[in-house]
Amino acid sequence: MIEKGRISASQLGKILYMAIIPTSLLTTPAITFKYAKQDLWLSPIWAISGFITVFIVLRIYRMYPSENIIQIMERIGRRIPGKIISGIYLLFILYVNGVIVREYSEFVVSSFLHTTPIVVISGLMVLVCAMAVRGGLEIVGRFAELFLPIFITLFLFNIIPIIADLQWSNLFPIFGEGIRPSIEGAFVLQTWFSEMIIASFFLPFVADHHNAKKTLSRSLLAIMVTLSVSNLATLLLLGELTGNYSYPFLILARYINISNFINHLESLYMIIWVLGAFVKICVFYYVTVLVAAQWMKLSNYQPIVYPLGLLLLLFSQWVAPNTQVLTEAIAGPVTLAMITMFVIIPALLLCIVWIVNRLHN
Amino acid sequence: MNYRRKISFILLALMSCSLLLTGCWDQVEVNDLAVVTMTGLDLTDENQLELSVNIARTSSQQPQENSDSSSGQLTGKSVILSTTGNTLAEAVSKLQQQLSRQLFWGHNEIIIFGEKLAKEGIAEHLEFLLRHPETRERANMFISIGSAKEVLSLAPQIEHYVADDLLEMAKLQTGLNITLKELMQMMISKSQAAVIPCLIIETKQDHQQSYPFIHGSAILKKGKLAGLVDSSTTRGIMWARNELDRGTVTISPENSEGYISFQLLSSSTEVIPYIHGDLWRITLRIHTLDDIIENTTDLDLSVSKHIEELEMELEDDIKRRINKALTVAQEQMNADIFQFADAFYRKYPNIWKQNKDRWSDIFTKLDVVVEADAKISRPGGTGKSILKPNQE
Repeated sequence: MIEKGRISASQLGKILYMAIIPTSLLTTPAITFKYAKQDLWLSPIWAISGFITVFIVLRIYRMYPSENIIQIMERIGRRIPGKIISGIYLLFILYVNGVIVREYSEFVVSSFLHTTPIVVISGLMVLVCAMAVRGGLEIVGRFAELFLPIFITLFLFNIIPIIADLQWSNLFPIFGEGIRPSIEGAFVLQTWFSEMIIASFFLPFVADHHNAKKTLSRSLLAIMVTLSVSNLATLLLLGELTGNYSYPFLILARYINISNFINHLESLYMIIWVLGAFVKICVFYYVTVLVAAQWMKLSNYQPIVYPLGLLLLLFSQWVAPNTQVLTEAIAGPVTLAMITMFVIIPALLLCIVWIVNRLHN
Repeated sequence: MNYRRKISFILLALMSCSLLLTGCWDQVEVNDLAVVTMTGLDLTDENQLELSVNIARTSSQQPQENSDSSSGQLTGKSVILSTTGNTLAEAVSKLQQQLSRQLFWGHNEIIIFGEKLAKEGIAEHLEFLLRHPETRERANMFISIGSAKEVLSLAPQIEHYVADDLLEMAKLQTGLNITLKELMQMMISKSQAAVIPCLIIETKQDHQQSYPFIHGSAILKKGKLAGLVDSSTTRGIMWARNELDRGTVTISPENSEGYISFQLLSSSTEVIPYIHGDLWRITLRIHTLDDIIENTTDLDLSVSKHIEELEMELEDDIKRRINKALTVAQEQMNADIFQFADAFYRKYPNIWKQNKDRWSDIFTKLDVVVEADAKISRPGGTGKSILKPNQE
């Protein structure tokens, strides 16, 4: 086997949480508000694609405990078509990671380091992630485990001091225009929930596999709750203004003022953002490297980490010419593509596997 | 030995990291910054926007007393500069040309609009402030009677900067305390009306001793100044908007001479909308807790019967104040500064949607019921007045 490291099921749960939450925390309130208005905090509850993805991953895992979905695609698709499909997946994951790197750098540049070239910020992040990924699966898992408590502490540190400033009346009317707006708002969120598919790439290396089901559903639930809380806090503070800011959650940190000397805390959010983005990029980077190595049937993935890092950096520059295009892409085409690649095709795969197995029996 | 070497290597690596933390492109040195503590926006006679800023002197050199430089004037520890432009961004870039340091907006805690500018509309100038990544959402907003520049040029009263003086005044909440975020929320709310505290200048013979303070408030409709209201009406507005935190209320009881003053301990206002057919009604339910701080009447305040009467009188006084504010808002300005529109939307989203175009008509005829519930908790340090032994 290409990867010799092993992680525990609880580490997998932490990896998933840290791989999904950071970027969604930043942008979802603004995008969801566009459709859901004051119901935006209910949108994360419609995590349909999350449930479907977790179901698919677990079903496939039960049938092939030592392979990830792309290996199974190659197995089902035979030689040539299988290679083509898995090649497409390889590029798509690389593209998604490019989007993530770009999101990370766009935020840093637009809110903090205005004159620093974006390549430098992306480049440094990719370099650090490359070092972590070269260390292997266990390193990535430990980073997630190490940073999660810091992440959650800072997240609460961002929300609790602001409670006094929240206006609960912003919450109403709940379901003022029926249930539809909150479901429409949930559409974009499916991008993040469909990312649960990465569990499939880590499950074969989980030592205590009987805990897999528990840990997956727990982290999905934790993600839903976190998003709901962050959307709620943003709504209660900003009300109708939520949709006007590019990064509403950042405003929370900026608005904190405890007895006039604990204020100007946006650097607090910056820590959350850099830590979170680091783990998120690492996880996707690792998946890319793993898939690429398996695709090329290498015996070791370490030699291709840096070359793929260079490609990742290029992709992050290629995905969009400016922030507006990036945001529009995330709210539209990227969401559709991710639902197709991470939910619909794996669902079809599950059906095919199921039929093939039936025929064999 | 090997272990030690490893540790010292790691420490060295960590320490060298701190050298990189300053950044390369975005490195900012405090002595390269011109920290803006206060901004004033005015409209000149040529219809140009005049931007005035109060910049804190961060250099070690102390200014000479009363010296005037050509570009601006010195007051204590700050420098006042002003430029004009068509837009705020243009004025800012012109201002930058006059400065040896880079403007920094992160500590701009006070934004003042001149009365004349407010009449023309402030909405478009807020755009720059919201888009700029450095400005604070918590900055306090004011409208000055007269020009904003004048307020900036005054010397501080107690604190180091005028901005600190104003900030502390706003925090005491004897007048309104409106931040940039709250102003924006009011302006984009369903009622599109906002209220901002006003600044007036207490003029003294010596210019150095004049100081600004918060007095009354200004009502904005769709971002334009609709009118000014005095301090006591502002108090009514604050009761209705649930923004009153502290303050002193003085009443003169009906059946005795003299005055009784109360100190407000806490107060909360509930806004309850109600629609039945064509009847639109708002009930304002006010709960307040007060202490007695002065009594010059013949009433013996250690008697609980008197306290009950006083509670009634206090309630009447609150109602009077709120009704005064309501009259101004409904009849004179037709501006829904209490955000009643949003209250209706929150409870009756569908009915609101059908009637949102008629809101200004509905608002003028809106039936507002004020229910006050005042509690006097304790009579203060003395029961019977020491100076008036004949109290009953």
